[in-house]
Amino acid sequence: MKNICALIALEWGRLLKRPSVRLIFFLTVCSPAFGLFLYCPATADTMLSKYLANPALAGGAIGGILFGLLTIRERGREKRCGVNTLIDGIIPPSSMAFIRTAALFLTAFPVLLGTMAFWLPVSRFLIGSVFDIRDFLLSYVLFMGSAIFLAVLASASAFQIGGRADLALALFGIFAGLSLTLWSENWQLCWLNPCVWALSDDFSNLRIFRSAAYMRLTWAAGLAGLWLLSCPAVRRRRRIPFLSKIPSQAGTGFSVRRQVLRPAAALILFLISACAWAGQPFVDHSNPDQSISAFDQIPLEQGLTCSRRLVRLSPDTKRGTVTGTAVYQFQNTSGKPRTAAFGINPGYTIFSARVNGVPVPASVRDYQEFNEALLEVTLPGDSQMELTLEYGGFPREDQSLSTMQGSAEISGEYLYLANADLAPRLINAEPDSGVLPVTVEITLPEHMTVIPFGSPQAEIISQNPGGTLTWQYEDEGTGGILYAGDYIRQDIEAAGITVEFYYGRNHETVMEEAGAANAIRAVIQYCTDHYGPLSFLSGNTLKLIQSRVSGGGYAGGGASLLDEADFTIASLRDTSKGSVPGEVMIHELVHQWWGLSSMFEADGAWSAEGLTVYTTYRIVKELYGAEYAERRYVDQWKREMEDYYSNFYVRNPEFFQRLPEAKRLEITNRLSRVRQYCEMPLKILKAEQLAGGETAMDQILSRLFCREPSWEEPYLTYEMFLNACGLTEEDINLE
Amino acid sequence: MSKIFRYECRRLMWNRFFFGILLILLFFGYQVLNRITILGAARTAPFSPWSLGDYACRMLPLLWAAALFFLNFFLSPAARRAAALTAFTPVSLRHYETIRLGAALTAVGVLTVLCLGEAALFCAGYFHQNPGWDLLRPALITLVPALVFALGSGWQLGQICPSAIFAWMAVPILFRLLPLPAPFSLWSGQFFSEYPLTLETLDPSLTLPGPVLLLQMLLLAAGILLLSLSYIRDRLNSSALTGGL
Repeated sequence: MKNICALIALEWGRLLKRPSVRLIFFLTVCSPAFGLFLYCPATADTMLSKYLANPALAGGAIGGILFGLLTIRERGREKRCGVNTLIDGIIPPSSMAFIRTAALFLTAFPVLLGTMAFWLPVSRFLIGSVFDIRDFLLSYVLFMGSAIFLAVLASASAFQIGGRADLALALFGIFAGLSLTLWSENWQLCWLNPCVWALSDDFSNLRIFRSAAYMRLTWAAGLAGLWLLSCPAVRRRRRIPFLSKIPSQAGTGFSVRRQVLRPAAALILFLISACAWAGQPFVDHSNPDQSISAFDQIPLEQGLTCSRRLVRLSPDTKRGTVTGTAVYQFQNTSGKPRTAAFGINPGYTIFSARVNGVPVPASVRDYQEFNEALLEVTLPGDSQMELTLEYGGFPREDQSLSTMQGSAEISGEYLYLANADLAPRLINAEPDSGVLPVTVEITLPEHMTVIPFGSPQAEIISQNPGGTLTWQYEDEGTGGILYAGDYIRQDIEAAGITVEFYYGRNHETVMEEAGAANAIRAVIQYCTDHYGPLSFLSGNTLKLIQSRVSGGGYAGGGASLLDEADFTIASLRDTSKGSVPGEVMIHELVHQWWGLSSMFEADGAWSAEGLTVYTTYRIVKELYGAEYAERRYVDQWKREMEDYYSNFYVRNPEFFQRLPEAKRLEITNRLSRVRQYCEMPLKILKAEQLAGGETAMDQILSRLFCREPSWEEPYLTYEMFLNACGLTEEDINLE
Repeated sequence: MSKIFRYECRRLMWNRFFFGILLILLFFGYQVLNRITILGAARTAPFSPWSLGDYACRMLPLLWAAALFFLNFFLSPAARRAAALTAFTPVSLRHYETIRLGAALTAVGVLTVLCLGEAALFCAGYFHQNPGWDLLRPALITLVPALVFALGSGWQLGQICPSAIFAWMAVPILFRLLPLPAPFSLWSGQFFSEYPLTLETLDPSLTLPGPVLLLQMLLLAAGILLLSLSYIRDRLNSSALTGGL
């Protein structure tokens, strides 16, 4: 062993002296610069995405390829120089292979350190006030450093499998090329360039770092197994007709122990890799068909009602996990046993299920949809029951968003729990009195503020040892959304509404410089003037919560979401948008009028999104000017629609049917989005022109908004809209 | 001569490298067909000449690299050492060179045909369509000039510096990264996915704008010229010698 270490040190020293290694050192240190201009896989507008994730990812991809080439060159050196027979006589080739690979690993360390030392001040300067040293270190180690190590392992294995430099080059080239191109949209396959679409400036990024580290470790185990398995191939060969030289162990004098141990170790590594691959804890296996919901079809259990529920949560902010207890008060008038169905995050495990203190059977089905798995609990025939579920785990994200991971972040800086992540969501029992009251208690570090999404307000009920606080709030319903983090609250008065504006502490300066408060006032004033005041808000207050970068937002009763990327230092530097950025924020605020105050029945292209997108366009037109709005919205809708109508599969449904189901779903999901977000706004725009212009349309929409919904007709339907405009469906069909 | 040709073909195609690269190409081809071509390029059918042209464009960097790897069989230091022996055989060096290039061309041709065969099988399997000429036309336009040029340029470059052909392998990838003007769009791999959108008709038939066609013809001519450069140089030398006498 001592001898091997000495040889590794010798080989490492030799490598460091080589001019080609010095050149690769220099090129690798410079490679993150490509992430600033040419290779930008992280598309979000946050500063850390632009100036940290992209350079680190570019450094990983380029550095990995360079080190792969270096490995193949170094491994082929003996043969090239014709000294392989001599060296094989001195040291067993398998030991030499290990020494070479270890020396290359060691070479990667100073390269990584040098790159980090060079880019630390540059990143600090570019990122500005939101720079975070932990994010910097983790980005460079996980996105860049681990790529180099994997590349060394992959190229060394390729050389050992092929036994010749050209084949190794081709194998490694295709392996790297696939990762950078066709596999780049699959978070587990892209070994060289992890799927990192965004890093948050204001909150932590631990989940995306964990995901990248997990993917890299999965590959590391697999490649290490491949390396081990291919390693004996350099020892001794015998010729067989035509094809190749294959390893021959018989009669070589190697001990049986070695012959068995190495394949066994390789097999174990392959198994670890395969298990890690199949059992990844980050993404669920939800049905990709998002047009149907099997859980919605589950019939209500006759005679079973629920009168109250209580949720107690203790997130582990260090490990990113949740443990909780949910208590449900059931009434069973049937006198028979009933099965209660719940939707639960697929990452959670049920630790125990008890009714009135007695354990009852509970099982989680394999089928998953919309980021929920089906939990079934058998309840006895008692008339009054208290079901207590103890659950917990690492929440998984929806597989349809696997390339945009990070939303289910749980850390000491940020927490987001929605519906089935918060507690098992009751599906098949009606509330006892129309609504299901819920009490939520959550214990978090004392610097975190708890913000329930909606009208409830959380209060501190106890201060615990260990620097934690327990918060409590009352809410209604079977789900619920909860945010927590190091937030600042700013109250904004607009059109008689008090907006409780919550944003991350790091964002204070940016929000002030961006004039976020003025933008919020402008949007609320516009909608109130044009359509009418919001009447359903509790206490006339509306929450506007800044979330961690998530690629969009949503709105609920009394609350809207503001994406972190709406207001960034980069968007302030972009003068093309005029003085008010934050179009996602506008969209989500508008949802308070269209979608929440007025409920919509989704029917094909008709949904709340159509009127919301149209209204967002109108607000943007007023704030940024007609030219900008036309370019950013109308032209975009037209382009998307042209694409939609020209799509081969839309024109030829018979060929669409021949596609595999996964492809059909992929296409369908994409096209339905286009219909809601582009086709309908365009139709409304056409209706506006036919109805007499913007003022006439505003009056029509105002009438629709202010109408009194009846029990028979609670929804704003497409037919109502057409009737209010005095138009028919054919009138506003697009050509 | 045909014996030597068969020997060289066997040397190139009956070994681990050939089957390795073939497997790599077929695997990559399947990934391209199943992830990209299946959606159709530029709103056209997956079995349209445009989509299959796009497939050919995506396969080009690998076929280019394979062609240069084949040349490495003749240009590697080991092959150069053996050249000292072959120089003493009664076969003309120029003929020997032509045979070797012919063998390399054949090997690349076989790989290309197998990749196109895979695409044809894919179209037949999923869509019950036989692309036939729709597959051949874009493949001929895209692959033939580029691969002939790869062999010609690689051969000449290899004569000067054998290891330079490894750097030459990156050329198609570089073309994809560089912002090239429209006539070069076939080289940057964007022609088949972008040009049909400018034609303003649905499912347009395959047409090539003049500059693109001209560039491809120039590329082919340059490839042929580079392949026959040694022969031309010999002829010029011998005619100069005859003139001198």
